[in-house]
Amino acid sequence: MTDGSISGSGGRIVVDGRPIEFAAGDSVAIAIMRSGKVPGGGGTLCLAGDCGNCLATVDGVAHVRTCEVEARPGTAVAGDPGHGKPPLPIVDGRDLTRTPIGRELGVRRIDVDIAVIGGGPSGLAAAAAAAAGGGNVLVLDADSGTEVVAIYPGRSIVAREPAGMLHVRADEIVVATGSAEIQPVCPGNDLAGIVTSGAAERLQAAGVGLGVAVAIGSPPSGVACTVLDGRLIRFEGDATGRLRSVVTTNTDGSEMTTACDTAIVGLGRAPRDVLARMTGDDAISLVGSVADEHPLPAAPTAGEICRCMGTTVDDLASAWDAGYTELELLKRASWAGLGPCQGGACLPHVRAFIAARTGTVPEPFTARPASRQITLAEAAADTTIDAFRRTPLHDEHLALGARMDRFGGWWRPWHYGDVVGEYWAVREGVSIGDVSTLGKLVVSGPDVVEALERIYPCHVADIKVGRSRYALLLNERGHVMDDGMILRTGESRFVLSFTSGGAANAEMWIRDWVDTWGLRVHVMDRTMSLAAINVTGPHAKELLARLGLAEPPRFLGHLEADIAGVPCHVMRLSFTGEAAFELHHPVDGSVTLWRALLDAGRDFGIRPHGLQALFGLRLEKGHVIVGMDTELDTTPHRLGMDWAVRMEKPAFIGKAALERTSRLPDTRRWVGFAMDGEAPPEGSPILGRDGDEIIGNVTGSWTSPLLGRALLLGWLKRTPFPDRVVINGREAVVTATPFYDREGLRARA
Amino acid sequence: MPALEPLVGRRVIGDPDALDAAIWSGRDVVVLRLAPDEAFGIGATAVELDDEHAIDESEAGFVGAVLSTADLADVIARVDWSLPSDPSALAQGKVAGVPAKLLIGDPSLLVTHAAYAGELADRLGWSS
Repeated sequence: MTDGSISGSGGRIVVDGRPIEFAAGDSVAIAIMRSGKVPGGGGTLCLAGDCGNCLATVDGVAHVRTCEVEARPGTAVAGDPGHGKPPLPIVDGRDLTRTPIGRELGVRRIDVDIAVIGGGPSGLAAAAAAAAGGGNVLVLDADSGTEVVAIYPGRSIVAREPAGMLHVRADEIVVATGSAEIQPVCPGNDLAGIVTSGAAERLQAAGVGLGVAVAIGSPPSGVACTVLDGRLIRFEGDATGRLRSVVTTNTDGSEMTTACDTAIVGLGRAPRDVLARMTGDDAISLVGSVADEHPLPAAPTAGEICRCMGTTVDDLASAWDAGYTELELLKRASWAGLGPCQGGACLPHVRAFIAARTGTVPEPFTARPASRQITLAEAAADTTIDAFRRTPLHDEHLALGARMDRFGGWWRPWHYGDVVGEYWAVREGVSIGDVSTLGKLVVSGPDVVEALERIYPCHVADIKVGRSRYALLLNERGHVMDDGMILRTGESRFVLSFTSGGAANAEMWIRDWVDTWGLRVHVMDRTMSLAAINVTGPHAKELLARLGLAEPPRFLGHLEADIAGVPCHVMRLSFTGEAAFELHHPVDGSVTLWRALLDAGRDFGIRPHGLQALFGLRLEKGHVIVGMDTELDTTPHRLGMDWAVRMEKPAFIGKAALERTSRLPDTRRWVGFAMDGEAPPEGSPILGRDGDEIIGNVTGSWTSPLLGRALLLGWLKRTPFPDRVVINGREAVVTATPFYDREGLRARA
Repeated sequence: MPALEPLVGRRVIGDPDALDAAIWSGRDVVVLRLAPDEAFGIGATAVELDDEHAIDESEAGFVGAVLSTADLADVIARVDWSLPSDPSALAQGKVAGVPAKLLIGDPSLLVTHAAYAGELADRLGWSS
């Protein structure tokens, strides 16, 4: 097909390990064709970036349209596999957090009045008209190196440039992306050696010979070829997948076979409007041929309709017969349109397929970013993962050898290297834990008691100043959203605590209801203003006495006191099952307080405990952790916490739902289990006694150093609730909680 | 390279009208109006306002950095939302993906919660 001669060699690229010469100005695809090969794995080549038939891996980046990449000396090209995906670059299987191969890309941002996508005659005319009107106009043209890949709602354009990504915000967007040539659908359309008329003209201009060429439909301009008049029936090839002949109809209906090296198809054009179909924004207008009506070719009867995904007309018919008779559904069921060209090649034919069966031409399907294959670096350019907060003790934890982990939006110490040692320090000595992450709100106002009575399912008005009460937070459906403490600090002022991940939601929840009810209540979130250290264990009281707390509050009491010179709000409660004092204090005093506690408790064998030990300690007490143990529709009753709900109250959020659901049968209970041996993994399925039906799941699991057996918390979801179950192949006995200190004497000591 | 330093002062939640008329005591107090019912007086030692139920707390949970013109440009390059058109307005949103506040003026001030200080400094390349 080509004589291989090159006038003005630009150098050599390496294709599948073999160097080939290219001419100055060649794209990689044309350079490959100049060498007598075909880019991609066959199918009609458009050489205009519209199809996915010239994809290859270029310089390590997969799925690159070689027709859009300029050949440069040393460019390395590897053919994409005919089926499946190129292998992902594995950097280091041991550490997947390391930066993968590739460079980090920056983002350039521009705000303009009008962005014109496409630098052809229509686009430039639109840009000139806009500029004449006084607007700040930006033309984004792929041929000039700025390829738009997406338009997002809000008129936000994402484009890639040679140096990185470009994000443009525009008041108006003009799409002038022109039109694409329609590809043939018939048997043999996956052979190599078929090109569109436009591609033939590009090859001719580049001096690439086509061999014996025939044209079907509108012939190319200036390309030597034999024009076939009849209707295209099929392409025929050899065992290598190479085109050898074209079969068309004669005027009498008989078939005519014409031998050739290249078949050139000119079947008309369709709007290249994938970008315009990404949003329904009225401020996006179309000019030029992109604004034309979508044509409807003859309905396809055989062949590959979506070369990108390998979808044949038979596949489409099968999906249709299975009931997927709407365009969007047919697309999903057959995968037609899901590949690299995003329907650029198959959309006209899929619409024609449907129109032939229904008599109605469907609108083109929705397009979604990105319209082109982009790398992860391009997609991630200048994006950031969520920021996790650090408590003021973060560096103290690191200095103590803590393994930090992310939990509830914070970095928290998971353990300090000896979970069991940390556990025993709490049970038998004294330990400190960083609970700065707890949600902390201050609420104040003349209507604050009324508001809290309506919000919480427990009584609030009878909490005396200096006292506190554990409370659940329910939504309107009576489902548990959060839990924490209500501490009264004045007649019209309270401190509320919440779980670490729940503070922001709780603040919004309370503010919304207060506004809805028109109550006079102020709400201040102090979560990040105050740190908190939990001092817990049999020697906690003595330790605090050494640092100035001569008269600690009694259980569920709280007071203000200076400890080690740091002003603290001291709260007496217990999550660990031992005597415990939470010291809430300004964040700038936290390191001083932490170090003072460690110094003063040295002879008690004080050591800090991390989350892992804390979870074990709480599990022995059967305390719930909202979010870990609960599900979206967990009620207090399912948790066995009816005691936290006072249904005699006139009203509270969720009461009506609890009244209604209390009359319905319920098949869920959150209960304790005990079993011999090591604790099974959290999340383990719970099986019935016969071992063949999953009837629940484990939410918490811990091998108790004190009790010498595995203790678990989890859900039973079948009635009648069994008293024995199977977990991890072993028998577990349903056991009442708490597992430890049932009377709660140690917490009150 | 700028550094995020602790900011101390008083933070108040109160009636918006009362906050509008609040009298702040302290040296070189800079008041950030975080919300209609919330203000943070950097450097404030006391505040008087006509709302007996206002929540008025000592505040040490923020950090801030004074920005030169060049620093400000670097910070704004990490802002992917529209800044307020009023140049003296307090802009609140994410900087480099971290919740922050930006007071553009002479000089400009970048503020965030102390809990985010390490993450923000890392992302802005300010960590030593």
